[in-house]
Amino acid sequence: MFDYTFQWKQALARLPKMLDGAVVTMEVAVLSMLLGIALAILLTLFRQSGSRPLKAIATTWVEIARNTPALFQIYMAHFGIASFGIHFSPFTSLLIGITFNNAGYLAENFRGALKAIPDTQTRAGRSLGMTPVQSFRYIVMPQMLRISFLPMTNQMVWAILMTSLGVTVGMNMDLYGVTQDLNALTFRTFELFAIAGVIFYVITKIITLGARLIAMRLFRY
Amino acid sequence: MFDTALSANDLIFLAKGAGITIVVTAISVAIGTVLGILFGVIRVQLGAVLSAPLTFVLDIFRSVPLLIQLVLANAFVGMVLQLQVSGFFVACLVLSLYTSAYCAEIVRGGIDAVPATTRRAARSLGMSWGQDMRYIVLPLATRVALPSWIGLALGVMKDSALVYVVQVTELLKSTQILITRLQEPMFLLLICGAFYFIISFPLARFGGYLEKRWSND
Amino acid sequence: MNKFTLPAALLAVTAVAGTAAQADKLDDVISSGKLRCAVVLDFPPMGMRDENNEPIGFDVDYCNDLAAALGVEAEIVETPFPERIPALMSGRVDVGVASTSDTLERAKTVGFTVPYFAFEMAVTANDETGIDSFEAMKGHTVGAVAGTYEAIALEEFVNEWGEGSTFRPYQTQADVFLALSQGQLDATVSTSTVAQANVKSGNFEGISVVGTAPFDIDYVGLFAKRDEYGFLNYLDLFVNQQVRTGRYEELYEKWIGGDVPSLSVPGVYR
Repeated sequence: MFDYTFQWKQALARLPKMLDGAVVTMEVAVLSMLLGIALAILLTLFRQSGSRPLKAIATTWVEIARNTPALFQIYMAHFGIASFGIHFSPFTSLLIGITFNNAGYLAENFRGALKAIPDTQTRAGRSLGMTPVQSFRYIVMPQMLRISFLPMTNQMVWAILMTSLGVTVGMNMDLYGVTQDLNALTFRTFELFAIAGVIFYVITKIITLGARLIAMRLFRY
Repeated sequence: MFDTALSANDLIFLAKGAGITIVVTAISVAIGTVLGILFGVIRVQLGAVLSAPLTFVLDIFRSVPLLIQLVLANAFVGMVLQLQVSGFFVACLVLSLYTSAYCAEIVRGGIDAVPATTRRAARSLGMSWGQDMRYIVLPLATRVALPSWIGLALGVMKDSALVYVVQVTELLKSTQILITRLQEPMFLLLICGAFYFIISFPLARFGGYLEKRWSND
Repeated sequence: MNKFTLPAALLAVTAVAGTAAQADKLDDVISSGKLRCAVVLDFPPMGMRDENNEPIGFDVDYCNDLAAALGVEAEIVETPFPERIPALMSGRVDVGVASTSDTLERAKTVGFTVPYFAFEMAVTANDETGIDSFEAMKGHTVGAVAGTYEAIALEEFVNEWGEGSTFRPYQTQADVFLALSQGQLDATVSTSTVAQANVKSGNFEGISVVGTAPFDIDYVGLFAKRDEYGFLNYLDLFVNQQVRTGRYEELYEKWIGGDVPSLSVPGVYR
C-alpha cells in the first residue's frame, strides 16, 4: 500500500527559507489587521452617520467583503485595480486584499458590539459636555473593541491563513509562496507542505494564546 | 465593456463551473454539519479534558490554510495511501472535515448558551438526557447557532473557490480558463464575483434577520 | 456444502491469479483501455482550449498519438504547472505530456523519457519600457510562470543582478502576459512558442518579442512513475518513432511552424 518514500531530510534542509517566509506572512497579517481595524472603525462611523453616501460606501464595502471569496478580492486588488493604470507590488496587492476583507468583517463585528452598548451612555457623555466624537472615542469605542476582542482574534487567524492566497498575485516571499517555489524545484510536495502546515499551525497558536494573555491583562473585570 | 467574445457556449461552461461550486458546497456542508453536531455534542458531554484529542484534531482544520489542507490531502490519499480517488472526492472530504471543525464550535456555543438551570429544571421534571436534548436544548441552541451556521455554509461556498488545486473545475477556475482564452479579465471576474454575491448576499441577510428576530424576544 | 465450494474455489483461483500476475503500468493501461495524460492547458500552443473549451494543442495531439499507438482511448486531465507531479503520484494520470523540463532535481522524484520537445527561451517586453534584449532586463521588474524551467533560471539571474531588479512568479501563463500588458511587469521570459502565440493572438496590446534568453535549451520529456521501467521504455521508443515517422515534424508544423528543433544533444547518448 505504501510505495512512497518520504524524503524529510531534503525538505527539512529548506526550513530556514520557509521560516523567512513565515516572517513575511506575519508581517502581512499584522499590517493588514492594524489597517483593517482602523478602516473598520471608519466604516462603523460611516454607518452610524446620517449621511446617505457615506452609509452606501460603508455598506457596499462590507457586503462585498463578506459575500465574495477572499481569493477573488485579492486577485481584483492586483489585476483589477491595474486596469485603471494603478500598479501595486504583489506584497501591496495582498495587503490591500486582506485589509479590505478584514475591514469588512470587523466592521460587521463592531456593529454587533455597538448594539450591546446602551445609547444612554453616549447621552450621558454628551450631557457631561463631550462632543459626539469625544463620546464615541472615550466611551463607546473602548467598549466596542473589548466586546469584539474575540472576533478580532479570529480575524487575525483568518488574515494569517489568507496570506496563502498571495501566490495568485505573484507573491513568492511569504510562507506559502516559498513552499510552492521549493516544490517546483524538488517536487517533494507532501513533505514540504506538511512542514508549511506545521509552521502555520504554530503561528496561529501563538496568536490565539498571545491574544488570550493580552485579554487577561486588558480586561480584568 | 459589453463588447465581448463571450459565447453562449462559454456561458454554459461557466454555469457548469457554478454547478460544481454548488454541488461541492452542498455535499460538504451536509456531511460537515452532521459530523459537526456529533463532534460538538461529544465535546460538551465529555468535557474539556476527555475531548482534548478531538479538540486538537479539529483545531488543525481551523489553523492551517485550506489550500495546504487540500494539497496535503491530495498528496496523502494518492501518493502515500495509493488510493484511486477523484479530485472531487478529495475536495469534498477536506471541505467536509473543515466544515465540521467550525460547525462543532458553533454547536458547542449553542449548547453552552442554554442556561444550566433550565436544563437542570428539565431533568428534575423527570426528562431523560435524550428528552432534555430534544425538547429543551435543541430549540434553544438552534436559535443561537443557526445564524452562525448560515454564515459558515456561505463561508464554505466562498472557500470552495480553492478546490481548483485538486483539479476540480469550479466557478473561479472556469472563469480563469475563459480568461486564458478570451483575455477579458475584468469582465469575466465581475461575472464570477457577481455570482457568488447573488447567492451569498440574500442568505447572509436572511441569517442577519433571524439573528435579530430571535435575539429580541 | 457442495453448492458453495465451486464459487469459493473460483474466487480463490482468481484471487491468486490476480496477485500472481503483477501487471505493470503498461499492462494496466492496455487492459483498462484508457490512457490518462496530464496536460497543461494554459500553455499555448502546447496545450490550450478551443472555442468549445475543449483541449487542443501539441501536447494534446501527442497524447492522442500515444493512446492510438497503445490501442486505447486518450483522456486529457488538465493539470496546472505546480500540480503535475502530485497528479502523477496520486495515480490520477498515467503519464505526463506536459512540457516538463527534465531536471536532475526532479528526476529524483519521477522518471523522465528522452526529450520529446525542445524550447528556446524568448524575452517579451512591454513596449513602453524600451527593453530590447535579455541584458536590458536588468534593473526592471520581470516575471515568469511559477515552477517552470524559465522561472527558476530567470530568478537566479535576477538575484545576481541585485538591487533594482525584481522577480515575480505568477500562477499561470495568462496572468504573466496580463501583468505584462498592464505594465505590472516590464518583461518576461517564456518559451519562444508561447511568446509568439501570445503576441500573435492580439489579446495583449503593447508587447513584443525582443530577443532570446541565454538559457540552455529547455529539453522536456514525458514523465511517468520512476519505477515503471516497462512503461518508460515504451514511451522512449514512442518518442523515437514520432521523429522517425515524421509525425513530430508534422505536429510541429501544425502548431508552431518554422525550423524544427533537434531533440538530440550533440556528443552524448542518453
